[in-house]
Amino acid sequence: MPIHEKSLIRPENLVEHEELVIDGVDVSGHWSTFIKPRTIFDYNEAMQDEIAALPGGENIHRCWQCGSCTNACTVNAVNPEFNPRYWIYLIRLGMEEELLRDKDILWQCVSCNKCTYACPRDVVPEAVMKATAHWMELKGHTPKSNSTHFDEEFASQVIATGKIEESRVIRGFFRKTGQPLNQPWLAALITGLVRRFPLGYLMRMGWATVFRPKTRGWSASRRAIREYVHEREAENRKALGLDATGGH
Amino acid sequence: MTKPVLIIGGGPAGLSAAHAVAAAGRKAVLVEKEDRLGGAPILQGYAKLVPSHEWAKDAIGGMVDRVAGNANVTVHTGAQVQSFDGTPGAFTATLKDGTTIDADTAILATGFTHFDSLNKPEWGFGTYPDVVSTVQVEQMISSGQGIRCPSDGRVPDRVAILLCVGSRDRQIGREWCSKICCTVSANIAMEIRELSPKTNVYIYYMDIRTFGLYEGEYYWGSQEEAKVKYVKARIAEVTSDGKRLLVKGEDTLVKRPIAIPFDMVVHAIGMDPNVDNMTLGSVFGVELNKYGYIDKKSTYVTMAETSRPGVFVAGSATGPETIDDSIAQGAAAAIAAMNFGAGAPAQAAE
Repeated sequence: MPIHEKSLIRPENLVEHEELVIDGVDVSGHWSTFIKPRTIFDYNEAMQDEIAALPGGENIHRCWQCGSCTNACTVNAVNPEFNPRYWIYLIRLGMEEELLRDKDILWQCVSCNKCTYACPRDVVPEAVMKATAHWMELKGHTPKSNSTHFDEEFASQVIATGKIEESRVIRGFFRKTGQPLNQPWLAALITGLVRRFPLGYLMRMGWATVFRPKTRGWSASRRAIREYVHEREAENRKALGLDATGGH
Repeated sequence: MTKPVLIIGGGPAGLSAAHAVAAAGRKAVLVEKEDRLGGAPILQGYAKLVPSHEWAKDAIGGMVDRVAGNANVTVHTGAQVQSFDGTPGAFTATLKDGTTIDADTAILATGFTHFDSLNKPEWGFGTYPDVVSTVQVEQMISSGQGIRCPSDGRVPDRVAILLCVGSRDRQIGREWCSKICCTVSANIAMEIRELSPKTNVYIYYMDIRTFGLYEGEYYWGSQEEAKVKYVKARIAEVTSDGKRLLVKGEDTLVKRPIAIPFDMVVHAIGMDPNVDNMTLGSVFGVELNKYGYIDKKSTYVTMAETSRPGVFVAGSATGPETIDDSIAQGAAAAIAAMNFGAGAPAQAAE
């Protein structure tokens, strides 16, 4: 009988022995092929509550699996494996192992929010994707994503000075993500700027890069923002059952 | 015509019919097999009803009081009709104890019988004490005992409700949808969550049929407010790992087999034809439909008519029915029965 649903057989579940003799019978190679069962043996009941406790995950329990989000999804059009509806189902039922299989593509949401407008139940799938990616980082399942690195660099500059300085954001982002600063598109952008911008502008930009001016009276705001960020991070970590420190 | 209307069955439909007949100033004789009135909601100890959330003993109890105290209604409890003869306007019913009742017309409001889960042995009922029916859960709630595993009285951490037990199942000759179990299960799930917030409730379904306005309060409400989880899976088997129950099946959305431990499994049992329907059909001379319910004529130009002129039918005797609709049908059958005595509707229209 042919194997139906062959696509359901996962490579990691295929067991094969190169050299195997059972009761004097040589069953080496594909003669010993064995497929491990795919049975799900339990639900992680904390997972939905944990993700719902992170910003953006609040409405996840409303989902009724209509699939409008996946149908509207920009990324799904390129990569059919990117399936918000499916992940929401896994989270709701606590199928952690199944969710973690997609940890390397889940963060790829481009936040176009087409799903947000398509969703008849106001689940805000875009925000759920963010919360889920955040959950994976906090739990240590994934390293910080590039977008997290960018957000952190951006936020740290705002917190420090009340402003951002673009070249510094780009340099910090490239450093944190291990990308070389010498990118052809960046070089073209900079030479283009230098050629076209009035000299006064360029001097002001250069001055800001070197001296990092702060917004006037920023220190009080900085204290308040830092305090708030710490508070929220501690809350998030507590919701996930992690200790209050560490992370980012 | 001044003889009474004979009503068989003292559940919601029969009580409603008796009240309607009495309210019209006519006499009704109500014959109930059990020793008290109220039908399934009272006899089986239902908790809060859908969609009113009133306790069954208050809501249906009120219907019983209204009829029991009515001078136009004669009630025979613990009684069954042995024979039923005559023609419209001159029927004679003889009870098993020999009492005879003369009647113009008769209304069968004989209800249904809950599906017996022993007929689906693969789902563990009768094998494992912690596999129970929705009726048992209703009783746990209405008795005030709360949700507890029958085996050791512990409060369950996790409850599975299996839908379509004894419904939509050709294997056991029950092809119909019992109509109310989805909504009742959602209601029970919400009540479990309210009584015991630590208990997680999962509903395993083929389709969800919380029809009409039940959709919002029960299907959505159970998910949005009570955080009840719905899994699309027809369960294959309920077994035990020695400590907890194991629910096995396939989660069709994930396309993976599941074998999940549970503390309690609830069968959402369907509505079978009344086990007495063969006898009732033969005593009253009415035909049953192919499923075994009492056959009802189409409702466009006739109301609540059976195959025998002068004998009417209402409520879940005709197929799975809600309490509210049974009550409405009881009143409708009463009007039809009284009008029938006044002359054939076709002639009256001329």
